Amino acid sequence: MSDGLFDQFKNWYEKRHDYARAWKARTGGQVVATMCTYTPEELLIAAGMLPVRVLGAHEPQNVTEPHIFGMFCPFCRDSLAQGLQGRFDYADGVTLTQSCIQYRQAFGSWRMHVPTVQWDYFVPMPNEVQSPHARKAHYAEVQSFREFLQALTGKPLTDEMLREALDVVDENRRLLRELFEYRKAADPQVTGVEALLAGLTAQFIDKREHNEELRKVLAALPKRNLNRPEGVRFMTIGSENDDVAFMAMIESVGGTIVIDDQCSGTRYFWNQSNKDADPIKAIADRYCDRPACPTKDYPDHTRYAHVLGLAKEYNARAAIFLQQKFCDPHEGDYPDLKRHLEANGVPTLFLEFDITNPIGPFRIRVEAFLETLTEEDLF
Amino acid sequence: MSNQAAAPTSPEKKEFWRWQENTWVDESRDWRDAKILTCGIDVGSVSSQAVLVADGELYGYNSMRTGNNSPDSARNALQGVMDKCGMALEDIHFVVGTGYGRVNVPFAHKAITEIACHARGANYMGGNQVRTILDMGGQDCKAIHCDERGKVTNFLMNDKCAAGTGRGMEVISDLMQIPIGELGPRSFDVREEPEAVSSICVVFAKSEALALLKAGYTKNMVIAAYCQAMAERVVSLLERIGVEEGFFITGGIAKNPGVVKRIEKLLGIQALDTQIDSQIAGALGAALFGHTLMMKQGAAKAA
Repeated sequence: MSDGLFDQFKNWYEKRHDYARAWKARTGGQVVATMCTYTPEELLIAAGMLPVRVLGAHEPQNVTEPHIFGMFCPFCRDSLAQGLQGRFDYADGVTLTQSCIQYRQAFGSWRMHVPTVQWDYFVPMPNEVQSPHARKAHYAEVQSFREFLQALTGKPLTDEMLREALDVVDENRRLLRELFEYRKAADPQVTGVEALLAGLTAQFIDKREHNEELRKVLAALPKRNLNRPEGVRFMTIGSENDDVAFMAMIESVGGTIVIDDQCSGTRYFWNQSNKDADPIKAIADRYCDRPACPTKDYPDHTRYAHVLGLAKEYNARAAIFLQQKFCDPHEGDYPDLKRHLEANGVPTLFLEFDITNPIGPFRIRVEAFLETLTEEDLF
Repeated sequence: MSNQAAAPTSPEKKEFWRWQENTWVDESRDWRDAKILTCGIDVGSVSSQAVLVADGELYGYNSMRTGNNSPDSARNALQGVMDKCGMALEDIHFVVGTGYGRVNVPFAHKAITEIACHARGANYMGGNQVRTILDMGGQDCKAIHCDERGKVTNFLMNDKCAAGTGRGMEVISDLMQIPIGELGPRSFDVREEPEAVSSICVVFAKSEALALLKAGYTKNMVIAAYCQAMAERVVSLLERIGVEEGFFITGGIAKNPGVVKRIEKLLGIQALDTQIDSQIAGALGAALFGHTLMMKQGAAKAA
């Protein structure tokens, strides 16, 4: 039985729109819907705003077809559906930082068709972050975003305000890393579902509150004993994933998810900024340095070594690819990344995700995968 | 003469899709002589099977259509074979549930996925040279690799769509009004092999089949085109995983030579032969796993 240690994160996740509305009423600040985790949210926080990442609802929907193609990835369609259905009617603005073209189209549609949004901003971050010009270019873009926000609010965004916001966000990243450390040991004290909820809520809860909750949880963890069989230690790989029911299913059939390479997980918070006298440089560089999304991972494929490194560091026995259907960047990486992991002793399972996922058929695949890794008793 | 009109009766509807349900027991043996009796129950989306294994060898089975309730389907499947040989549930030492309804077999001691069970069943049916298995079930198909023990080493399943599965073949059977068992042989009774139908979607099959008939295709040509399309679809699944020698087909479609021969032609290899009903592979594998588990329990007790 759960000890309730992560209940606040669960509650925040399930009532995220209520939280944002209450935050707005309480503080009078603006709420900004952010698309893609490359958004430099430090600037929004410095401007007294609440960045709220747009997540899907995993419900059947029929509102996006007039606006974007059905072969856009389910996350794009679900994110747009949330806007069109008025789920983010409290959001004053919407931002996107360049990642993939499908998401950019979903953002464009948000701008045009979500009437409650008062302003929008697109940060054209370079995709080729490995280029020697990328940092300079991104510095200029983050600086432009700062100027936009200053003009929007009519208030200066001083270096001091930016440094303060960066400290809060870096502290959040540090605390999440500390939480994830508890997943390294055998019989980890944090389940995959709990870690998912902690990582996801960081993307839409006021960071100061989130940090406080993380500290509370971290203080209680050393004495925690989950008393559940660990089973097979899994890693998950992919783009966005907040399918709690799917993750819970894996952890109910003999597995524990111990680490991920997903933008809804580690890629969001893995690295802190390097200290720099110029906060814009510190912020811009941090996003160029973070574990790459496939859209920003060329000509060198830095992901392959990073993903394998995570699997080894967290002692993952096997990996599950949670492939959003039609997500070209991840589909492009998949064959080589699969080969790389398997050649290095990490077997993989591929599952294709849609807006709603069939838990039953997925369960068969996961259980059969588990049987290939265990069940020697049957022979 | 009565002035009361006779109540209208609808013409009897013939169910062309209905495949042969059957029950078999090995009458050369008596199950009472066996030290270990195990049972595998495969509750699939379309058919359910109960297989009895006596001392590690196939003893009997019952194969029937799945009803709307998994526990009842499991009970009925088992009851059918037990009735045939005078056995009671208490006589069976270990029951393993498998298939889509595996967790709903009320009297099962363990549930194992149909992927593992089909591999184990194929290993028994085709021998330990089996390495690649194609299971063509009622609503899905699976490509499986296994080792010499029948342990799965890799697998792939089709996505949500039921195209190219047994259910699709049932729909074609009804559309053509030809008993399902005749589809395969009739698909070869054509002057020349037609191209595969472009859509094997179960929903669109009807409109495509009607369009072909209108274009002058004979029924046999439509069936041949559908069998070819089904073969191409499962071969593409197999090619994603790779085909190793020792190829074996399980599931209901394995009984359809119209599909099997076309798969063999596309792959350039022959499927291994068996005398055992291909539809029972999953339940047979489940029963064999039960036997191994019982043997190990006995060994553990003796130690």
